[in-house]
Amino acid sequence: MTANIEEQYLEAFGALAPQGDPAWLLARRRMARDIFAAAGFPHRRVEAWRYTDLRRALAKDGYVPAQRFDGPLAYDAETVGPGAAAFGDVERHMLVCVNGFFRPDLSSADLPEGVSVKPLSEAVKETGFEEFLTTDDNLHPINALNSALMQDGLVIRVDAGKDAGKPLHMVHVTTSSGASAAHMRHVIALGKGAKLSLLETHLGQGGAGYLANHVTETHLGEGAALTHIKLQDEAKDALHLAANNLRLSADAKYYGFVLALGARLSRHETDAVFKGEGAHADMHGALALRGKQLGDISTYVDHAVPGCSSNAHVKSVLDEEATGVFQGCVLVAKDAQKTDGRQLSNALLLSRDAGMNAKPELEIYADDVQCAHGSTIGELDETALFYLRSRGIDEATARSLLIRAFLDEVLETIPLDGVKQDIGSQIDVWFRASALAGS
Amino acid sequence: MLEIKDLHVKVDGKEILKGITLSVGTGEVHAIMGPNGSGKSTLSYVLSGREGYEITKGEILYKGKDLRAMEIEERAAAGVFLAFQYPIEIPGVTTMTFLKTALNAQRKARGEEELDAVKFLRLVREKAGPLNVSEDMLKRPLNVGFSGGEKKRAEILQMALLEPSLAVLDETDSGLDIDALKVVSDGVNALRSPDRSMIVITHYQRLLNHIVPDKVHVLSAGRIVRTGGKELAHELEETGYADIVEA
Repeated sequence: MTANIEEQYLEAFGALAPQGDPAWLLARRRMARDIFAAAGFPHRRVEAWRYTDLRRALAKDGYVPAQRFDGPLAYDAETVGPGAAAFGDVERHMLVCVNGFFRPDLSSADLPEGVSVKPLSEAVKETGFEEFLTTDDNLHPINALNSALMQDGLVIRVDAGKDAGKPLHMVHVTTSSGASAAHMRHVIALGKGAKLSLLETHLGQGGAGYLANHVTETHLGEGAALTHIKLQDEAKDALHLAANNLRLSADAKYYGFVLALGARLSRHETDAVFKGEGAHADMHGALALRGKQLGDISTYVDHAVPGCSSNAHVKSVLDEEATGVFQGCVLVAKDAQKTDGRQLSNALLLSRDAGMNAKPELEIYADDVQCAHGSTIGELDETALFYLRSRGIDEATARSLLIRAFLDEVLETIPLDGVKQDIGSQIDVWFRASALAGS
Repeated sequence: MLEIKDLHVKVDGKEILKGITLSVGTGEVHAIMGPNGSGKSTLSYVLSGREGYEITKGEILYKGKDLRAMEIEERAAAGVFLAFQYPIEIPGVTTMTFLKTALNAQRKARGEEELDAVKFLRLVREKAGPLNVSEDMLKRPLNVGFSGGEKKRAEILQMALLEPSLAVLDETDSGLDIDALKVVSDGVNALRSPDRSMIVITHYQRLLNHIVPDKVHVLSAGRIVRTGGKELAHELEETGYADIVEA
């Protein structure tokens, strides 16, 4: 009997025996490995992955662990795609990871006082560090896989009362050309009243069918504020799986935005838990996809305590045979009165063969709440297109104006001006790629 | 300027225009009147090139060229302008951005230099003032939340900026009160010129008190059933369409 893909996968990573892991981590890895082996890669019959059949997407390739790369990195549009230009004019500190390993030599060393960055492999040796790793391995088998195999990641801490100032920019580049896989675990921990802006860019060299798996543990202390903006422009055959495990203390503020342009299949999931009253989380995003790409932005929000608000708004532009997915769930606990929970998915289909699956859900056990959820799926307005063209605007420009107008509503929420502009520019590049392919 | 010969047009397989012949000379203003459903708006859409309007017979010559062979945006750059009965709301695109994109697209198509931001702003302010189009309106998304009157004034502002050779005004008076009608009509009259022809489509005579036409045509069931001078509009106001349509 041939081994199933889960066994093959774990087998390939068997040689990756973690060096010097503390006992708690070894135990966690063993347990996670068992959970994953039993559950397998998520597939259509797993509700949270119903529209994103990871098992099927993985079936063809025999993945091997990504190899550490210590050479010079070509970080330009030609090598890793137009995303290399993003945030170039934003004053920021760079934190670079290549093939799933932190590269301190390529990263900024001059971090402000009260802000620290450590590789995961060092941080796990600290006493009590396991308390940061609150991701539930039972929630998704892919979380368990990450816990079993995580080899590196960034542990970013901002001390209580500190404003980190300039954004930190996490850059993830994959240079390997084969079916390699990297499992990274990041920790973002903000002390009481701390502030941080975090940018993320995920890029890869063209043609590579790699798997990039990130789990981020985000802990916001009382009154802390995190602005977290991500550009996912992985290589076109890549798989990108990101889970953001968000824990908010009282009065904490989270603003998250993701623009997903790349990868054959991508999923950006936020699992937010409110632990103290008065906290707020925005979890916005945009998908701009074509070809046979599948992009999934999903949110799971647990309003466990009263008086918190959450807002998830995802706008999707889908061309050719692309598929968009939004799964959202807002859970309001029995005592979580005065909750304000919102979810909205708007999709624009540019082709008859494109598709959108949106499933916003509410699960409310309290009686004094304001919750709203909605989903729209539409096409470009032909009358609006005619109107613009009748004023002399050519069809391609008219289409891009209308698509930008559609996306602008959610782009406008980005609180950092330079970053907002760069995200807009990335979308413009996406349009031009379409115009070129069409000509 | 415009020669329409025996024009037949189908929409969704149904013949709406059944043989229209119309000649509009340079600098002339023609009014097209008629009851609802007579094909007035169809004619305006055919002239601007909207998809879904199938010309089954006849021809349209604009400045001697076959209009049918031109794309919507080519017609615009060549000087054909349609003021919409119901201007479209475009959320997310400010009126200013839209005007600049449109003007520069037309200039580019004609091989003219595009206007920079400073020159453009000066031009817009010059044209917007007399039409009571405020800075605030220019900064708002195109037509979004505009009142009926604001939408029509914005249409005329577009016309003033784009300086077409042939302007088709489709029911520009609909939804306007007396004061707004005056502002819009004054705007249109200011654009009358020996080089510019206009087709004013309207159901009512009152617009033609302000924009006085050289000729009036009555359209009924897809055909022009009568043509006359400006006095024809007054006659219609007295008798209604029924007499003429039945004649």
